[in-house]
Amino acid sequence: MTKYLLFFLAIVPFSQVVSSQNNYPTLTEITQRLQKLNNHKVATLNSITKTDGGQDIWVLKIGTGDLDNKPAIAVVGGAEGFHLVSVELALQFAEELVNNYPEKLEHTTFYVFPNMSPDAYLQYHSNIKYERRGNVAKIDHDRDGTVSEDPYEDLNKDGFITQIRVESPMGYYKIHPNDTRVLVKADRTKGEAGNYLVFTEGIDNDKDKKFNEDLEEGIAFNKNFTYKFPVFEPLAGDYPVSQKENRALIDYLFEQWNIFAFVTFSPANNLSEPLKFNESGAKKRVISSMLKKDVATNKMISELYNKTVSQKAFQQDNQGTDGDFFQWAYFHFGRYSFSTPGWWVPEVKLKENDDDKTETKKPSSKEKPIVTKESNFMAWADQQNLKDIFVPWTPVSHPDFPNQKVEVGGIKPFALHNPPYNLVDSLALQHTTFILKLAAMQPKLEFHHVKVEKLSGGLSRITADLYNNSPLPTHSELGEKSRWLQKIRIDITKDKKEVIAGNTINLIDKLDAFETKTLSWIVKGSGNVEIKAGAAHAGFAVFNVKL
Amino acid sequence: MTRKLYISVLCFALTTLSLTEITAQEKFFRAIGTPHQPKVEVSWNRYYTYDGVADVLQKIAKAYPNLTRLESIGKSVEGRDMWLLTISDFKTGNPDRKPAMYIDGNIHSNEIQGTEFSLYTAWYLTEMFDELEFIKELLQDKTFYIVPTINPDARDNFMKEPNTPHSPRSGMLVLDNDGDGMAGEDRFDDLNNDNHITFMIRKSASGRYIKDPLDDRRLIEVSPEQKGEYEMLGFEGIDRDGDGRVNEDGIGYYDPNRDWGWKWQPDYVQRGAYKYPFSLPETRAVADFVLKHPNIAGAQSYHNYGGMILRGPGAEEDLGTYNREDIRIYDAIAKKGEELIPGYRYLVVYKDLYSVFGGELDWFYGGRGIYTYTNELMNSYLYFHKNEGRANQEEELKVDQYLTFGDAFVPWKEYNHPQFGTIEVGGFKKNFSRAHPGFLLEQDAHRNMAFTIYHAYHTPKLSVTDVKEKNLGGGLKEITASLYNERLMPTHSSQDLKYKIERPDYVSIDGVNVVAGMVVENEDFNEVTEQVQHPSKISVANIPGMQTVKVRWIVYGNENYTITVDSAKGGVVSWKK
Repeated sequence: MTKYLLFFLAIVPFSQVVSSQNNYPTLTEITQRLQKLNNHKVATLNSITKTDGGQDIWVLKIGTGDLDNKPAIAVVGGAEGFHLVSVELALQFAEELVNNYPEKLEHTTFYVFPNMSPDAYLQYHSNIKYERRGNVAKIDHDRDGTVSEDPYEDLNKDGFITQIRVESPMGYYKIHPNDTRVLVKADRTKGEAGNYLVFTEGIDNDKDKKFNEDLEEGIAFNKNFTYKFPVFEPLAGDYPVSQKENRALIDYLFEQWNIFAFVTFSPANNLSEPLKFNESGAKKRVISSMLKKDVATNKMISELYNKTVSQKAFQQDNQGTDGDFFQWAYFHFGRYSFSTPGWWVPEVKLKENDDDKTETKKPSSKEKPIVTKESNFMAWADQQNLKDIFVPWTPVSHPDFPNQKVEVGGIKPFALHNPPYNLVDSLALQHTTFILKLAAMQPKLEFHHVKVEKLSGGLSRITADLYNNSPLPTHSELGEKSRWLQKIRIDITKDKKEVIAGNTINLIDKLDAFETKTLSWIVKGSGNVEIKAGAAHAGFAVFNVKL
Repeated sequence: MTRKLYISVLCFALTTLSLTEITAQEKFFRAIGTPHQPKVEVSWNRYYTYDGVADVLQKIAKAYPNLTRLESIGKSVEGRDMWLLTISDFKTGNPDRKPAMYIDGNIHSNEIQGTEFSLYTAWYLTEMFDELEFIKELLQDKTFYIVPTINPDARDNFMKEPNTPHSPRSGMLVLDNDGDGMAGEDRFDDLNNDNHITFMIRKSASGRYIKDPLDDRRLIEVSPEQKGEYEMLGFEGIDRDGDGRVNEDGIGYYDPNRDWGWKWQPDYVQRGAYKYPFSLPETRAVADFVLKHPNIAGAQSYHNYGGMILRGPGAEEDLGTYNREDIRIYDAIAKKGEELIPGYRYLVVYKDLYSVFGGELDWFYGGRGIYTYTNELMNSYLYFHKNEGRANQEEELKVDQYLTFGDAFVPWKEYNHPQFGTIEVGGFKKNFSRAHPGFLLEQDAHRNMAFTIYHAYHTPKLSVTDVKEKNLGGGLKEITASLYNERLMPTHSSQDLKYKIERPDYVSIDGVNVVAGMVVENEDFNEVTEQVQHPSKISVANIPGMQTVKVRWIVYGNENYTITVDSAKGGVVSWKK
């Protein structure tokens, strides 16, 4: 034990080097940072399972005192394995919280799950880098009876899986008019013929005319939950919550009754803009729209987000995908659930006159320039003078197209979804501020107007107003229906026989934002009486009276 | 042979053995349809606890080692083994590669007789294997996977602890049902200690009921202008937690039959759902077994009650899953079932019963493509050959008067209740109404088994019926093989085909040099679909029931060859030249 500690101290200088790194951390580095946090009194690190790839799924529970009975926020990173920044944001939130804001733990407990897709995350630090979603499970994604028979191939041996383009009159892509590096779909409605076929980098191993349709990866964490589970789709599997990661997380969450909200760093975004309300979807038995009151809450939190986080929304059109985690947390777990990618490629306003990088033929002023995710990214990368984000199109010989011109190239994997590492610190600070502001809004039960009236014959009437001093209802509208949120329970410490009017236990379904409920009892006898009201996710209020 | 050996060795054994034989011969005369001198003696007019079930299974497994394999597929919440008995002729191929029928019972713990029906099936098949050519062939062709109880913990609780006919239904996990943060704090209380939870009634000035002066077991409601004498206070219980409610937080509650992974919905949509599909160890054990046994082509689960043969969909939202092709098969088998089990009706869950999301039969079919029924055992018809509906009190009072002579009813008796004061406790026992009385058990078990045998019989049976050769000259030869499925079910249900749930059937040729391979779509007009990759192993999407599929190879040379059909649900068959 002592030996181990000494060794640990000895390697500190090295970990200093690690912390001033300029790249997204390895799984080992993540674990080291978590273990460092675990040394703080307020944080407890646990592995809730090991993936089939042998990686730990960590949860850091951060809080003080009676931490299971304080409202809690769960912060989740790594919902997608290729979304490196999400892991770093969750991790830095925990570091900021523990190191700089311990006073926040007086009222709120936090759960941080920094990386839910470690098997897939590993691909970033592997010899062949590609944007991976699936864990290591062996899955027959195209369901043809053969497992993973058509994965990617690194044709140009550069260590990156990018794209191939094949010159062909049957192509449905053309060169972007403003940027020769980028391909766009030919607009067939305008009679445009394309001249490139485009595929992900690889060979059609099983000669079924589909490229890389049966990848060497397993199930995606963010496609394996019960809400709108995309059964039998690639990366989703045969039934929901089939993977250890998913199961361990849910099993753990079902035991934590105090979570009132989730902040997930994932490609979905309901923070730049709230989810839309759809009346018919909300009225269905199988609900497919966020409920009305919850949309209003989402809108309020979204405004808070936009005030706190400086980046302006751009191309944020993903508000949830089938089987994902963030929708599960709301639709099937009844909690307030928020998701943001944390970072996205900012909009680049094209200056039409002095851009010498664009093609000589300028689009006529009437035509809108074509802006795709890729063209906007390249423009931004140029502005930022980013290196190492693009593989120039280079010819290769390809067995599936023996007599055609085939080139490998395109934007490098990870670049579209993850900012250069040096931008992460400021993003993390802003998102930490946001999460702490959200925590400050948590449901807050208080007693007011406590009154004891003496009645004749040794009876007393106790009255009090129970007040939710928060802009958030104690239960989401959907959560009111769920058995997995506790009701607000009011206990009076009196023997049942001495409570003449009223019960010793009362249950209230919920309190809305700033709502008051008046409670009263008639009791017999004298002495101290304690009255306590609350639920783990809404916190507790207590008062004592002497009869 | 063995007997002779014993005789020579042990004199004592000789006398005992021949004595038993003589008595058996002299005392019994064979009844048609029933094993006459079973190796395993079982009474089919009573119910078996978990230990009783395990005992019967072990005896069958011991008596028929070449026909059975007994295994535990997992542990229940309280750690009981979930016993599964595999039944097949083990000498005629690997049972896990034969088309299989899966049968379970008792998913709802109070719906007990599915266990005895499953056990009866296991017993009948093993005891009759050597006696009936039909059963012998059936077990040569097919495999039965039988799990008599998939809710063993709560089965024992139902039998051994005080319960109503409707409880626990759930398994033995105890949840917080009233949302007060405490789990199972206000359960039933067996006030009269008779191991049955019956009803509480109390004399009251505002009561709306009187006891029938002609039959004091019966409470009758008075007309609006009449004064009554009794009020109803519900099932036996005490308000244990002081919240003003009685029996509001008992064992469970969740419904294991809402825990399956097809269109699963959470508790606020589907009451009884637990955390996520297969979040209960019992359902997970079954699902894991089924996922590892793609040879299961048909399935049956036993519930009670009402005399129904049910198919999905469980919910209207899932109507699109059950398509016409598959409904044709469902109809053909279940209509035969209606004939075999008089009084039972073939119904569809969502429209004839109620909505169920996450039910077992929907996962078996939707998630695995297996034709699956749920039978609701026991119905009014069995009493007096009239269909009086479920829980018809008049009929039940009559049954207990003339057929069971008072065995089913606990007479009203006064009791002093800590909260309600003087009350009376009484009513029908937990093992009446839903459960068969003993004298009706065996017949209904046999008939339901006959239905599952019909179902199992119609899982696919494949054969290579015809192999034609045509000389193409230049050393080339065309070989066309016809594969016939001589039963109702296809190798892939159309649900299976829609999602490619199971791999295709493979038809391969060995021993020759294959130049090209193809599926013959229309032999008369030479319409073929070539398979460029691996032509010696042709992938056939499906071999429909009562249909032929043709496969053709162009081969070089004149060697002898073997054609093998390898189908997950249709088994493996070979043809040799």
